[in-house]
Amino acid sequence: MFEYESGHPVLRGLNVELEPGQVVGLMGENGAGKTTLVKQINGLLKPTTGAVYVDGVDTRETSTAQLAKKVGFVFQNADHQLFADSLHAEVAFALRNLDFSKEEIDDRVARYLELFELTRYKDQSPFLLSGGERKRLALASVLCVEPKILILDEPTQAQDALQKEKLLKFMDSFRDPEHILVLVTHDVEFAIKAVDRLLVLSQGQLIADGSPHQILSNPRILDRARLLPPQLTQFAHKLAEQFPEFPLNVATVSEAVEAVNQLIRSQR
Amino acid sequence: MTAIFEAFRFKQKDTFMHGLDPRTTFFMAVSFSIIGMLFLQIIPLLLVFLSMIPFILLARSTRQWFKSLRGLAYLAGFILIINSFFISFSFAISTVLRLVVLMTAFSLFFLTVHPDDFALALIKMHIPYEFAFAFSMAVRYVPTIATETETIRDAQMSRGLELERGNVIQKVRNYIPILIPIIVSSIRRALQVAESLESRAFGSTATRTSLYDLKLRKSDYGMMLVAAVALAFALYVAFVVRIQFPYLLPDWFFWGFPF
Amino acid sequence: MLDNISLSIPQGAFIGLVGPSGCGKTTLARCLNGLIPHFHPGELEGTVIVQGLNSQDHHAHELAQKVGLVFQNPENQLVAPTVERELAFGPENLGVPRDEIRQRVETLLHQHHLEELRDKAPYELSGGEQQRVAIAAVLALQPEILVLDEPTANLDPLSAFEILQLIAYLNQEMQLTVLLIEHRLELVLPHIQELVVLNKGQLVARGPPREVFHNPIVAEIGVAVPGMIQLLKQVDNPRIRSTTPLSVEDAVNTILKEVRS
Repeated sequence: MFEYESGHPVLRGLNVELEPGQVVGLMGENGAGKTTLVKQINGLLKPTTGAVYVDGVDTRETSTAQLAKKVGFVFQNADHQLFADSLHAEVAFALRNLDFSKEEIDDRVARYLELFELTRYKDQSPFLLSGGERKRLALASVLCVEPKILILDEPTQAQDALQKEKLLKFMDSFRDPEHILVLVTHDVEFAIKAVDRLLVLSQGQLIADGSPHQILSNPRILDRARLLPPQLTQFAHKLAEQFPEFPLNVATVSEAVEAVNQLIRSQR
Repeated sequence: MTAIFEAFRFKQKDTFMHGLDPRTTFFMAVSFSIIGMLFLQIIPLLLVFLSMIPFILLARSTRQWFKSLRGLAYLAGFILIINSFFISFSFAISTVLRLVVLMTAFSLFFLTVHPDDFALALIKMHIPYEFAFAFSMAVRYVPTIATETETIRDAQMSRGLELERGNVIQKVRNYIPILIPIIVSSIRRALQVAESLESRAFGSTATRTSLYDLKLRKSDYGMMLVAAVALAFALYVAFVVRIQFPYLLPDWFFWGFPF
Repeated sequence: MLDNISLSIPQGAFIGLVGPSGCGKTTLARCLNGLIPHFHPGELEGTVIVQGLNSQDHHAHELAQKVGLVFQNPENQLVAPTVERELAFGPENLGVPRDEIRQRVETLLHQHHLEELRDKAPYELSGGEQQRVAIAAVLALQPEILVLDEPTANLDPLSAFEILQLIAYLNQEMQLTVLLIEHRLELVLPHIQELVVLNKGQLVARGPPREVFHNPIVAEIGVAVPGMIQLLKQVDNPRIRSTTPLSVEDAVNTILKEVRS
């Protein structure tokens, strides 16, 4: 769906193409350039050399506002977006900016507030909601535009287990040939469950691109990107030291349980 | 236009001026300002202005000061035109000179005094700790809030906000989605900071101690004496001589453009 | 916000406080150092006694010398222009004599490996460094109890791990009593003696991690049960199912032992 290369001093020599139907994870240490990279996607930043093409459009010739139709960006801190008098106005903001008709706006606002279980607060001030509700509101206000590409910046921060489960389900529903989801995160445990393809940046360069399992068990990469391997991956590797047939790519607890049961049976 | 602020941005350097106690620098800045305000004539103002240049040089901050002067050019041009039209070109020039003198006097202070030392100086001058601390914290959080403003702007632009769109009124309203999150965020931050302060016994005693102390040295007394003498002399010339014995003043003192 | 909580914490303990969002953990933490009721208005029924001091009868600053509270966002805990002055801030507030402040600052800079950061401004520090400074700054008041409210929430995994190791060290080597509110327990589980679980303002479970995680209510309310524990609880072997691994090594060893026997 798009490709880019960049000579930006923060980012160097990147050449990546993202395919629709994927959830792409982006990881790396603080300052590696993750935010710089995703900001290229919706035009907040333009490459100094090279180009970024989003759905065939060159970002250097398009404004962020125009790209907002195709690219939704949910920032890390919901409080950096909320400002309106009511939830309705908050969700309608992007739609108004993008010149949707009044009927369309009302329709979408209602649908998305419903989707995120916020309808009862429709006329309330966004600031009265709880932390988790504000985050859902921020998501709703970006998703109502129905962008093809969605960027989530650290969505699991300070979320409890149930909230993370819901997020996972939501991300799953976004996985279809029309959409791309880019997940910027530190949360290795979440990434290994959610992500199909993992990109790792370090000091402005792409040091890994591919299977989350392989990458998240590579000590060199983990070290450079200041990441810890997910516990399941550590577990699998340690068992595989004694029993080489143990699968290394277990992503969920259920997969691991299966593998362990299999191991026990095979050793009888 | 924001280049104006360059001359007020502190940079840590190892110069005589940077080594002075902030109270000294403050006294010098105030003295220069008063002297600048005392005179309306072009030549004396020019002399005052020229006498401040060595100090800027001593502080090794000429480049920053120059940048500010350039930023000041717009304001200066505006003043020049208005005053020339309504009063006289001579008067306009002297007004601009006064502006430059004032700006340079205070830039000398802000260029060479570290914000926390300024807070310490305020405390030494018996300003209540809370005010000095509030000032010090405000300075400390400026970079934080600046970064946050950029993030907020990015977030709203990602939702299709176009800051340049519409007429003048519309353009101002476009900033509301940026201002409100900044304000809300700052309030939240203030609460969190307050909790942290309370948790570390802030305001618990009236006799607060401090790790660092400001001491006046010989160089400080020396400079303050120089500034005091200059101020006294200027006051004498401005009030006594000019009013009572104007004939004592040389002709060039009153020189001005014939228009 | 809190409903009928009765809790006593022995000296030197390392307690983990968990629960879903909005369960009252943050409120409880603030009761311990006097922010509630002195800073946050409201009704406090019951008593909070910290090392013999009743929180309602003593000022926040007295309690601050008994209980240090570290918050989630390190940026908003650093108020001074440099790290050195930040460490001095607490003692300065108490009117501690200059020599002693200097001594405390130097000791803390050394103990917490902050010497190179001495003259740095807060915005020049990474998130992990900022939080380390915040912790040291709180310890400058020499409390014997440390309460931390999600201290690693804003940090990258490696920094989070370092901070949690620091906290374990403070508990074990420096004998500080620690109450830690944290979602990512797996990184620090082996050090925790007792878990306290809150839900909707009430205390729903309490005890050693091994016991608490076997209580089904814990997973139901949304507490993140560490993956290793979840794993072993579902394996097709009753002996394995009855164990509670506190780390990856634990889990692996349990399985190896069983398979080899």
